[in-house]
Amino acid sequence: MAENARRKVILRLEGISKSFSSVVALNDVSFEIYENEKIALVGDNGAGKSTLIKIISGNFPPDRGELFLDGRRVSFKSPVDARKAGIETVYQDLSVCNNLDSVANLFIGRELTRVPLGLPILRMKAMEDTTIEVLKKVGISMPSVRDRMEYLSGGQRQAVALGRFVAWGKRLVLLDEPTAALGVRETKQVLTLVESTAREKTSILLISHNLLQVFEVVDRIVVLRHGEVVGVREKSSTTPDEIVSMITGAIFIKNRKRGAPAKRRR
Amino acid sequence: MIFRSLPVLTVTGARATPAGPRQVHWNRAARMLLDNIVWLILAACLLIFSLSISGFFSYENYVNILHQSVFIAILGIAEAFVLISGNMDLSVESVAACTAIISVWLCASSPYASGLMLNTWAALGIVLLTGACIGAFNAFFVLRLKVDSFLVTLSTYIVVRGLAVLITGGMGMNGLPASFRLVDTAKMFQIPLMVFLMVLFYVFFSFLLRRTRFGRHVYIIGGNKAAAYNFGIAVNRVLLWVFVLSGVVSALTGWFMAARTNGATASMATGFLFEVLAAVVIGGVSLSGGMGSLVGVFAGALILSSIHSALNITAASPFLTEVMRGLLILVAVVLDALRRMFR
Repeated sequence: MAENARRKVILRLEGISKSFSSVVALNDVSFEIYENEKIALVGDNGAGKSTLIKIISGNFPPDRGELFLDGRRVSFKSPVDARKAGIETVYQDLSVCNNLDSVANLFIGRELTRVPLGLPILRMKAMEDTTIEVLKKVGISMPSVRDRMEYLSGGQRQAVALGRFVAWGKRLVLLDEPTAALGVRETKQVLTLVESTAREKTSILLISHNLLQVFEVVDRIVVLRHGEVVGVREKSSTTPDEIVSMITGAIFIKNRKRGAPAKRRR
Repeated sequence: MIFRSLPVLTVTGARATPAGPRQVHWNRAARMLLDNIVWLILAACLLIFSLSISGFFSYENYVNILHQSVFIAILGIAEAFVLISGNMDLSVESVAACTAIISVWLCASSPYASGLMLNTWAALGIVLLTGACIGAFNAFFVLRLKVDSFLVTLSTYIVVRGLAVLITGGMGMNGLPASFRLVDTAKMFQIPLMVFLMVLFYVFFSFLLRRTRFGRHVYIIGGNKAAAYNFGIAVNRVLLWVFVLSGVVSALTGWFMAARTNGATASMATGFLFEVLAAVVIGGVSLSGGMGSLVGVFAGALILSSIHSALNITAASPFLTEVMRGLLILVAVVLDALRRMFR
């Protein structure tokens, strides 16, 4: 912790709460993400991981609570706002269009254009060149970047999705279960990629069910349970067993940081 | 270092389903064939008809086939945009009929017309605006009220056709000014102006679909709407433009139809909807969105009009024509199903 005090905070969450009609998805969630840090968000199904990710990536605003990016308060009205602020998300389903090629998928929503007559025309060559360059950085070679995604393997699709954060993840990259659809070997490769392509000053927030993966990759672990943070642990000072018991609630009360024990809301 | 550790990804990788490289290869070949089969069908039709039907293979008849394909081909552009965006527009036929009737009502000298005898170009403006309004009307229900586009446009299909009949009172109108008829009467190499305009539209709209950001977004929305939203594409704005475009292009078709027939009747363009859908789907546009190109649609329209021509020349029974129409739609949906199977 003494070491963390000296590190720069990239993103600070303060008292984030969110309810969907009568269901409390998140309740008073607070933690910090440091510069150049790999942090994991773990928790059981329905613990609020996805809701939290969607708030950070700008899909919807929190009911209460605030986000601070580089010390400045931010409120994202859409995923575009978050992306402009340097927060890139790699979605669980990869968010790829199988009907389009790698170039279109890498540049989805941020196509390079020139506007000669008020009509934005695609700069095909420039986008293709960038795609080849980015995929080379990701460490994948494809027969052609103009092949439709449906012709590609799972690993190649994953590479294109990850290519987006290699190309544009400036401050923070959110990885929502990036290996959920992959085999063991491909998972390993993705994790290696995450480790090595996280550039200077880019932090990574990894959401995963797989504690083995989590321990392999990250520096710190945030545990969510029933929408509340039940603990934040340095990897070096915890064990998978402890994390599991925090996820399942076996040591629920003991590790609460704030005040009274959590109330179960229904 | 990372590059060395990832060589496995560079090979075919592991698929979700255990398919060997060879099988992947065959799947790919099958998909390519199904995506471009329209050209094979067109070539087969033209070849067989040219060889077996006397009088089919002539310059005049080929020009005639082109001329006959204009309406279906242009309506096909409208339908293709909507289908690629992942929606459906059943109102194209009615919009064309209604705008044809409105334009004739405004311009014609017939006693059943308005008597305004409006300037051709003013009428064209009004007609295009009408099309845009109907498109926006469809879009409102689809985008704001989240009604399925099939159901919304099914309603407008009936409503707009009804309006057309209401205007004419069921009576036919004719007697258009020469300037109005120019798109059909002006010819080069015996080819009417509207054929050249059709080709021009195809060039323009293909460019719009393939080379502009708008067109790219149409494909993205049709392929994965959630991804489009996640990556900040203004989904509703793009779809509004798609429906408006469909309305305007359909309206223009109506104007062409009026020019062609030198008038309008309440029942004109009846049955066009299914021919348009057949042409578009045979041409490679997927009913489930995100796939297809306009050249394919053009080829699809040519197939339909060459079959019509063959049936005309052989003086086939009109009931046989009806059977052929039905079979073509069947061919189209079977092709669509096959494409999905290999995807």
